[in-house]
Amino acid sequence: MLLAISSNPWLDALVRLGIVALLLPVGVIWLTWLERKVIGRLQQRLGPMRVGPYGLLQGIADTIKLITKEDVRPVTADRWVFELAPFVIVVPVIMALAALPFTAEILVRNMALGLFYIVAVTGLSIVGMVMAGWGSDNKYALLGAVRAGAQLISYEVPLILTAVAVAMLAQSMNLQAIVGAQHDTPFIAYQPLGFIVFSIATLAELYRQPFDIPVAESEVVGGATVEYSGIRWSMFQLGEFASLVLFSVLGSLIFLGGWTWPLDPDGLDGSIQALLMVVKVAMFIIFFMWMRGSLPRLRIDQLMALCWQVLLPFTLLQIMINGLVLAYDWPDWTLTALSGAGAAAMIFVVYQAARREGVPLAPSAGPQRVGSVL
Amino acid sequence: MLGIVKSIGTTVRAAFRRPVTVQYPTEKKVLPHRSRGFPVLLWDFEKDEPFCTGCQVCARYCPVDCITVTMTDNPKHAQGRSKRKKIVDAFYLDYARCMRCDICVEVCNFDAIVMNNTWEGVELSRYDRTDLVMDKEELLRQHRTGKLGDPFREPMGVAHSGWNPHKEDEGDDAAEVAAQPQPPQPAKPTAAPPEANAEDPGAASEKSAEGGEG
Repeated sequence: MLLAISSNPWLDALVRLGIVALLLPVGVIWLTWLERKVIGRLQQRLGPMRVGPYGLLQGIADTIKLITKEDVRPVTADRWVFELAPFVIVVPVIMALAALPFTAEILVRNMALGLFYIVAVTGLSIVGMVMAGWGSDNKYALLGAVRAGAQLISYEVPLILTAVAVAMLAQSMNLQAIVGAQHDTPFIAYQPLGFIVFSIATLAELYRQPFDIPVAESEVVGGATVEYSGIRWSMFQLGEFASLVLFSVLGSLIFLGGWTWPLDPDGLDGSIQALLMVVKVAMFIIFFMWMRGSLPRLRIDQLMALCWQVLLPFTLLQIMINGLVLAYDWPDWTLTALSGAGAAAMIFVVYQAARREGVPLAPSAGPQRVGSVL
Repeated sequence: MLGIVKSIGTTVRAAFRRPVTVQYPTEKKVLPHRSRGFPVLLWDFEKDEPFCTGCQVCARYCPVDCITVTMTDNPKHAQGRSKRKKIVDAFYLDYARCMRCDICVEVCNFDAIVMNNTWEGVELSRYDRTDLVMDKEELLRQHRTGKLGDPFREPMGVAHSGWNPHKEDEGDDAAEVAAQPQPPQPAKPTAAPPEANAEDPGAASEKSAEGGEG
């Protein structure tokens, strides 16, 4: 089934990962163009138009500019922490891509615990953000890094739990098996609640609006990446867009049926599979860009409240529903009905919370003691 | 919550509308008729000379002192071909210093200067700032060659134009309308000629004094 590149499995995997790691920057260059174009259209602008037809070569021009730019390191920066941080951001993403199948044949390694491996490895990139914030010796960078840490650790929990719910349904952690289990019905139909939580948590994982307080220009002037320029800054950009692709592929694999649904999985041509995946991944990516163009930034307390008081309990509810349906062998439609009811309940809870008026604070007697920002 | 749905809908609708931006240097939007570029002089095609007589009222009223004008005897008047006894000799306008306040246009007694309402009135990239000091020929060139098209010549303000909204329907005899003692609208001081300008504060203070007594 797999296209064999070499009989030696290590060499084979190395070559495959090399191809992925080489194609990744090209895809990212094109994605930066796409993002600017989409945001431009959402704001009734044209977006980049000058470099090449419809500005298609804009990303390449930006890359050349970034590569030739001076690589500045602040004098007071912690040298090794500062210089290694961009790599600590990018390497986990490429490591995760090693276990991510793009179609049934285009993949690096088919891991039995692929889903587990991916969520475990992508959690590492937070170390890079904190390293960048600490090593820069800049208060805004540090604030951004601390915010990034708090946000990522919080939203990692519902994200992983939705992955657990999917693994329960598929009875497997292998992404190939998960896709194979969806050839009739994609899991989005069985767990709309899980899908909504996954989409929101992914937005937060990627520091995209409305969850962009760690990298908010107007608050922390770009967060942990303030002091970076040139090639190191572009590494951060690469990591950000690579994880955008990573989570989009992951989402379309575990919720939208990957390369099988809605067509018959048997006898599907490789190119058709690739086309299906491209369409589904593009839907995710456009969704992320659309949210970026539409929604304002959340406050940090709203962000945390949404994660711990809404997303996490409802993800646990999803897991309980899955457990009940699987343990008592109820018909499939009960899964859809219960999860749909859960999704409606979650939306209702958030709606009520958003409508509730704030309670005015009693005026304090004297100057209030303010604790540390951290 | 509903706001989220609304904002998502708004962005989608915006995405399917025509972009409002254009590819500027190659593609230009139509400027409004009253667009206020840097001032230029007008050419009297009937007499084949500038309207400007070099009276220096614009130079005196210019808040940033960017105008230099000198006056000379009009040779065409001596030949009997023009009614202008005096004509502009030299006219220098420093575009680097001009702030496009429109005061020179308002005070001009001969409507000889207008604010440029074409793109050429704002696209003034130069390598040397001394190139932005325009002489008489340069200031007249655009109108003389017909590139100025349709300059906005209406003096600003109700009082100066003689426009009376209550008289608009009855007969359009401009002289009759202009002969009205004072339109009901309060005249804008900036729009009035200098003489009226001097009188206005007095009138205003009288009114306020009456109001205070009442």
